Amino acid sequence: MLRLTNWGGAGEDNDYDRLVKDLYRRFERDHPGVRLKIENIPGEYVPKMLLNFVAGTQPEVMVLDASSAAVFVNNGLLTDLRPFVESDPEFDLGDFYPNVVDIARRGDKLYAIPIDFTPMVVYYNKDLFDKAGVPYPDPNWTFAEFFEIAQKLTIPAKDPGLPPVQYGFVFTNWMPAWVMWLWNNGGDVLSPDGSKATGYLDSDPNVETLTFLRDLVKRHKVAPSLSEMQAMGADPFVHGKAAMVVMGHWALTGYKNAPKDGSGKPLIDWERLGVAHLPHNTPEPHTVFYEAGLAIPKDCNHPEEAWEFIRYWTSAEVQRVYNSSGIAVSARKDISRERAADPIEAQFLPIVPSARPPYGSRVESYEIVENVGRSMIDSILNNDVPVREALRRAASRIDREFAKR
Amino acid sequence: MSLLRRRESRLGWLFVAPATLHLVVFALFPMGFALYISLFKWRLFKDSPEFVFLQNYVWSFTEGPFWNALWNSFRYTAVSVPAGMAVALGVALLVNQKLRGVTIFRTLYYIPAISSGVAVSMLWIYVFLPETGMLNLLLRMIGVSSIAFLQDSTWAMWALAFMSIWTGLGPKMVLYLAGLVGIPQSLYEAAELDGAGKLRSFWSVTLPMLAPTTIFVLITSTIGAMQVFTPVYMMTKGGPENSTDVVGYHIYTEAWVNFNTGLASAKSFVLLVIIGGISLLQFRLMRRQLEGYSAS
Repeated sequence: MLRLTNWGGAGEDNDYDRLVKDLYRRFERDHPGVRLKIENIPGEYVPKMLLNFVAGTQPEVMVLDASSAAVFVNNGLLTDLRPFVESDPEFDLGDFYPNVVDIARRGDKLYAIPIDFTPMVVYYNKDLFDKAGVPYPDPNWTFAEFFEIAQKLTIPAKDPGLPPVQYGFVFTNWMPAWVMWLWNNGGDVLSPDGSKATGYLDSDPNVETLTFLRDLVKRHKVAPSLSEMQAMGADPFVHGKAAMVVMGHWALTGYKNAPKDGSGKPLIDWERLGVAHLPHNTPEPHTVFYEAGLAIPKDCNHPEEAWEFIRYWTSAEVQRVYNSSGIAVSARKDISRERAADPIEAQFLPIVPSARPPYGSRVESYEIVENVGRSMIDSILNNDVPVREALRRAASRIDREFAKR
Repeated sequence: MSLLRRRESRLGWLFVAPATLHLVVFALFPMGFALYISLFKWRLFKDSPEFVFLQNYVWSFTEGPFWNALWNSFRYTAVSVPAGMAVALGVALLVNQKLRGVTIFRTLYYIPAISSGVAVSMLWIYVFLPETGMLNLLLRMIGVSSIAFLQDSTWAMWALAFMSIWTGLGPKMVLYLAGLVGIPQSLYEAAELDGAGKLRSFWSVTLPMLAPTTIFVLITSTIGAMQVFTPVYMMTKGGPENSTDVVGYHIYTEAWVNFNTGLASAKSFVLLVIIGGISLLQFRLMRRQLEGYSAS
């Protein structure tokens, strides 16, 4: 019996779930006597998994989310997979993107094999660009150029009292979707060792970056305010009401099934989506990828079978089928290249090398930082707290949280 | 002691044993253990807790966000409890009428109490939606512009308190109803003979006779309100800008996001002492109301 824990709800009977179930069945057929028991955990994955460890009921295989991997990797809760990798003639780490594999590397130890990942990118709606006669983003666009484009793509309402009928950009307070802006202006969140925010989060480049983002929303109104977003109740981009948005690869599934207008035509044409690097004032663009990998908990009952499953699941054959759902970029170079036959998928590949692992893969309880970050944006956008002050407060709050450990 | 008495008392112990055992295993032991770990710097999955004695308690009191959480709980309690009690009493008076089909209404008002807190919270997210939510549609009819109840830090807490009036209505109403039924009819007749109107007899008969019920409802509601968690977790996650970060949610975050198990336990005991103090104070203040009261 092989227990596998993953996040997610009870399976629906959609194509993706059926496809995954088939792959599980195939593994059972190839390994007589092994029964897979899949446990999908709908919420609070990290605490529930930790309790499994505390109670000694850890599964054989766990899906490890890069954003919260640190607590498992740093506390010795996982098995070093290097011996398995080295003694397995058919398994080659070289098949995977090195920077994605590195997420779970600590020194000469390796704690997870990546399945797939999703870099954060700018999606843009080519139809809206064409309509406004604006050229598509240059890969090396700066903040200023981004702003210019966003302004051109904002269409004010006829009645000046009403919000614009089309926005240039969509900004959210969700930190995983805006942290890259800091890096692209030479700023950062924490010190290089991940222990401190003061002196890093409240730096001058970050004041500049957040002032820029605040002005997009509040001063120039080229992006909807948080309450307008709430009122829309839906993503303006997918409704064709905004020209650009920063999101991960997972958003594509929603764009593919965009809502339709009265005549049954989708509000955005999936074929007419562009994918670009984030704008950057630094010489090189930066982004982050959120990734899922497979790990074997320490002291589980059947490590050998667990490895069997991992090599099966990360094999080209399985990934070819699994990745056809299109939710993420495969961590396998061969598969993601195959998928690049699709023009949209192809646009992701040049972005991969510029992506770094999320802080959550190194810093324990990074979720706290992201909560503070969301509050900070709220205070800047809703309560007019000066940017520098908001950053200073957030940094000292984060440091206080870290000091408790 | 006679043999019979002894046998009876043994039988009595036998009867209370299951409940007592349950209490010891599932309440007293965990509480004792929590008190024990509140003296340690303890990260759940670390093998080596460090004994720090009262440092966690000292830390709690010097921590701004914890004070903020306490203040939020007080705000919530101070509004939701009196409002909830007033509405519940009003509804109890209504469904205390001798009308046909009044039991249907009693049932309807009680339904929120037996619904899952999670489901109810999801429902109210829709009620509070800006622009399209039910509440905002009503406000628009009277010409008030849209309010983003759960996204605006001035409104979020009051929105949750407003919702609690509805969710907490059932049990409070039933308690008041029981209290109302217990008031002898002769008192109303006497009041009427003395020339008291409806309002006067409510003020001079109903309210004083409900004093014990009121104390009970007040104390239990206060305890419940100080421990509020589900709607905050479901609807606001303590936001916007920590304006709804109540103590219950704050402790949860400390334990399950930060994994500072020891500190979270210490904060739980701080909350216990505070709730105990408030209950005692309420009891003291209400005691005068109870003097001379007899249910005979």
